Amino acid sequence: MADAVARLKEAVMNYEMETIADLAKQALKDGVDPLVAIEKGLAEGIKTVGEKFGRGEIFLPELVMGAEAMKAALAVLEPAVPKGKHRSTAGKVLIGTVQDDIHEIGKNLVSTMLASNGFEVVDLGVNVSGSDFLKKADEQKANIVAMSALMTTTMPRMAEVITPLKKKSKAVKVMVGGAPVTDTYAKEIGADGYSGDASSAVEVAKRLVR
Amino acid sequence: MAYGIKRGVRFQILSESDLDRIHWGTLHVLEKVGVQVDSVACRKLLKDNGCDVDEKTRIVRVPSHLVEWALEKKKSSITLAGRNPKYDAKLDLNHSYMTANGNGAVAVDFETGKRRPSMKKDVVNSSRIIDYLQNVHIHWPMVSSTDQHPSTMHLHDLDASMNNTEKHIMYETGVTISDAKSLTEMGYIAAGGEKEFRQRPVQSCLQCTYAPLQHDAGVMDASLYFAEMGVPLVFFGMPQPGATGPATLVGSLVVGNAEVLSALTMTQLHAPGAAVIYGMGNAPLDMRTTIRAGGSPEHALSSAMATELAHHYGMPSCVGVSATAKQPGDQAILEYYTGCAGPLLAGADLMCGIGLLEDSSCLFYEQIVIDNEIVGVISRLIRGEWADDVTLALDVIEKVGVGKNYLAQKHTVQHLRSGDHFMPELIDRRSFDSWSADGSKSLVDKARDKTKWILANHKVPALDSDTQAKVNAVIEKAKKPMWGGETKRA
Repeated sequence: MADAVARLKEAVMNYEMETIADLAKQALKDGVDPLVAIEKGLAEGIKTVGEKFGRGEIFLPELVMGAEAMKAALAVLEPAVPKGKHRSTAGKVLIGTVQDDIHEIGKNLVSTMLASNGFEVVDLGVNVSGSDFLKKADEQKANIVAMSALMTTTMPRMAEVITPLKKKSKAVKVMVGGAPVTDTYAKEIGADGYSGDASSAVEVAKRLVR
Repeated sequence: MAYGIKRGVRFQILSESDLDRIHWGTLHVLEKVGVQVDSVACRKLLKDNGCDVDEKTRIVRVPSHLVEWALEKKKSSITLAGRNPKYDAKLDLNHSYMTANGNGAVAVDFETGKRRPSMKKDVVNSSRIIDYLQNVHIHWPMVSSTDQHPSTMHLHDLDASMNNTEKHIMYETGVTISDAKSLTEMGYIAAGGEKEFRQRPVQSCLQCTYAPLQHDAGVMDASLYFAEMGVPLVFFGMPQPGATGPATLVGSLVVGNAEVLSALTMTQLHAPGAAVIYGMGNAPLDMRTTIRAGGSPEHALSSAMATELAHHYGMPSCVGVSATAKQPGDQAILEYYTGCAGPLLAGADLMCGIGLLEDSSCLFYEQIVIDNEIVGVISRLIRGEWADDVTLALDVIEKVGVGKNYLAQKHTVQHLRSGDHFMPELIDRRSFDSWSADGSKSLVDKARDKTKWILANHKVPALDSDTQAKVNAVIEKAKKPMWGGETKRA
């Protein structure tokens, strides 16, 4: 059983995107605890990949492939986790690009970075309306709502989610980012955190859930 | 002397057959993969003209003959007019023009050195600096007036630009049809009427497509409007090799080309003969930092190859340069030099643009002045050399003879005056002694001194009060509450 868990960790580290789902299915069949498989296998694997990226030993596509492999295995393992039990994560982040903005890659990179640092990420995609952010934040019980805007014209959309969100819940934290967004602007609109790039987004998220 | 940079040298990266393969490859992508078109009006236009439109996915497959038809319809020679006609930029495929970079949201305060959100006064000051500098030919509002109401920031950017430069203004903020209407109205006011604007367009709009293979609804609706109203357009593809385009530069060029050609097709179907410039700025995503690698050799090569492709189509090019440096100085110079030299050597018609750091997001006034010097150096590199009676100078060589010198020759003076020797303003060629006696100033220090001088001395005639009143009325009319009510900033 320990072998199966180690094998899952290795599969993330080797970016086995196409075949890892079969490994996960086999592990379940062999009676491996899905929570152990996730926490000791997948999470450990992606942590190692993230650390290598941080040290400059591997490049971004390898990190993304590691995260994709983890995602593929999670799709098999998560539904098998008994009701009432939850995998331990660094926190749950709801992320999306704001309404009228279809820029995707920056937001995706932040998702990948967060996932490779132990966060559970729910990605709402691009052109996400304010009401969708509010509805999903409530449904998902997210610790952090992360919004991205890449145009000066769509930046104000972020402000318009923060006000009602904060009114509803004091606990939820908001972080914002995107090329035109600045630290000053983030503070003005009442965001709890800002980051200019995907790597520092992880530090911000860690600070917010501390 | 003609406005712009004369081109006499050209280096070649792609062969004719490479360009043909890229073209055929692009047509294949447009027919097989298609592009996502979010604009309802554009989808209808394409469907009515024989494209295969999937309303559910919004993906449109464009037949080759339609693209070829659009390429026949486009205008090859476009003049981007200045408020002052001496600044008219004729895109004649023989001159290159440098533009400012645009729409950053951060500025480093010239007085306090503090990094802060950009303000309208930054647009005012940078416009005056651009107006003064010789090697920047087309103006862009360099940053956003984030201290103004969010619904009219872009109109304040244009207002500040119109009042502080007589050069042609290209903006990149026409991203919805209502923005396009206000901006066009301001252009007509600047030109003195619609007819006058159509004859001498003093403003133009650059529109970004979304890689890979997507067209935003607002951007395309606005583009059709601009095309109809006679506002020249640049369609600017910017796939990032390795991220939003294939890692190979040529592969990303195909993706960007498919975006630009499909935008061109929609525009020509709507307004045949509309002035469209071919734009591209493919900087890779840096795979260690996740930052777009503006000013990298790959960015320069991609811009150079896009220029070759544009010329293959008989279109003027507008290609990108930027820098990831965080402050003026060595890295910014290395990146801007690399990013400008490649495309200009390949014959870029418009190069956009200089003066912003952190990949087109942060304005340092002094960087504009430094980049002006870089473009000066490159202008000399690409002017071209030739052998004729004058340049061979056999008569002078005979006259001076053996063992003397050429200092006291009229020929020498004439050729210094005509720009045969580049005369730097910031590069310091003095001896160590005279340099240190004068305060051992770095190039950045000298750029700051020059920037101070420009801000203190260079005056630009403002718009007359009647014109200004009309501009103010457009801005006032466009002011509207943002979604969900006013933001704190307003």
